[in-house]
Amino acid sequence: MKYILTILLLTGCFDVSNAQQKKTVSFEKKMLKIPAGNYKPFFVTKSNKPIKVAAFKMDESAITNSEFLLFVTANPQWRKSKVNRLFADSNYLRDWESDLVIGKKNINIYNSPVVHVSWFAAQAYCKWKNKRLPTVAEWELAGNAAPKNIKYTSLTEYILGWYKKPNLPVLPNIKTTYQNVYGLYDMHGLIWEWTFNFNSFISSGDSRGNTEDELKAFCAAGAINVVDKTDYAGFLRFSYRGSLKGNYCIANLGFRCAKTIE
Amino acid sequence: MTKYNIGILLILSLVGCMQSSNKTEKKITASGRQAVLPDKDSMPAESIFHLTDSFQTQENIPFTLSMLKGKPTVVGMIFTNCTYACPRLTADIKNIADSLKDEKEKVNFLLVSFDTKRDTPDRLKKFADEKGLNKNWILLHGSEYAVRTFSVLLNIQFEKDAEGNFSHSNLVSVLDKNGVLQYQKEGLGAVHTETITTIKKLIQQR
Repeated sequence: MKYILTILLLTGCFDVSNAQQKKTVSFEKKMLKIPAGNYKPFFVTKSNKPIKVAAFKMDESAITNSEFLLFVTANPQWRKSKVNRLFADSNYLRDWESDLVIGKKNINIYNSPVVHVSWFAAQAYCKWKNKRLPTVAEWELAGNAAPKNIKYTSLTEYILGWYKKPNLPVLPNIKTTYQNVYGLYDMHGLIWEWTFNFNSFISSGDSRGNTEDELKAFCAAGAINVVDKTDYAGFLRFSYRGSLKGNYCIANLGFRCAKTIE
Repeated sequence: MTKYNIGILLILSLVGCMQSSNKTEKKITASGRQAVLPDKDSMPAESIFHLTDSFQTQENIPFTLSMLKGKPTVVGMIFTNCTYACPRLTADIKNIADSLKDEKEKVNFLLVSFDTKRDTPDRLKKFADEKGLNKNWILLHGSEYAVRTFSVLLNIQFEKDAEGNFSHSNLVSVLDKNGVLQYQKEGLGAVHTETITTIKKLIQQR
């Protein structure tokens, strides 16, 4: 009898630990290795040398509302009612019903990218996961990779097609657009994403000269410094980043994390 | 048994953590300032003292932004290898200091370096000596993470190029004694009359 009890108890323990393991596994986001490459800065710098990007790892998809709920649960200072306005404006997690409830009416967005999150919140999330936000160079390198499961004429055309469409009333789930050759989902076509150094300097090409006046003198002069003048999609992305502030929370702006390969 | 051991380890490490955080509370700066742990209730929500990352001063002393509490602060972001814009920005801030005359003792002057690689505390110390920046000046070296966060808080754009130099906006910012951003002026060799008026007003503020 005792013997049986022990076995029962033991199996009970095993079951619990198994269940826990399963749980943690399912919440662990898959990361993909992005091979080293050269990123040609979109805006011409004085030297205009391509920036070497070391191989790194990137989340296969954007962080979802469900995933972000776990973060907010574990970090009370990032709840809607508690967050500091310096770190997130009043639109922070706007669609959520309350601090720890995404909401029944939002049932369709549990697995959609979390949006209305600030740069500081995105930073904090990635840090909590022992990851970081990708740099602009890393993000662009990863995002420029060719789609592998859709028909398209050019990536630029595809992206512009998406930019043209108005925001959908309900943001689609992750993994609903396309997968690129690195295996990353939805790099374009779903949301815009925060980068670590989104506040990069873009309005002047020279770190030493005060070329601003020159640029101001011509209406479209800013575009003269651009590497690929046909990359209008890239141009929009860079202007968009340039218009952001760290505490902005916007309807179509989310994020995914990256990790340095040690 | 192993669980028990792990439990002890956890407790030990927790105690260890608490001890080390106690230590950081007692850090004292070059000018004898004591680290004030951000008191979240009394600190205005917009205070940049909410940023708790640690920096190092030109004297190689650990520094958190809340140590600036009590005096208004004039802030610039620079890198010392910069041959054109940064010396001018530093000179601009120095001119602001000079025009404050005796009152400049009541103000912190803060320079934070973009160049996390080359601008070590030693390098910053040399720079301070070369430029004749006295004890009221705090030059900070920080991690890439801390420097970027700082720049985002102050809306200062910057970008490192392939040669390790930086393109950046030239902004002089003024914080009140509680770390709230009160005024910003863009441009090199800008007219800083309003900056100075703002600082003088902030000195009077209780």
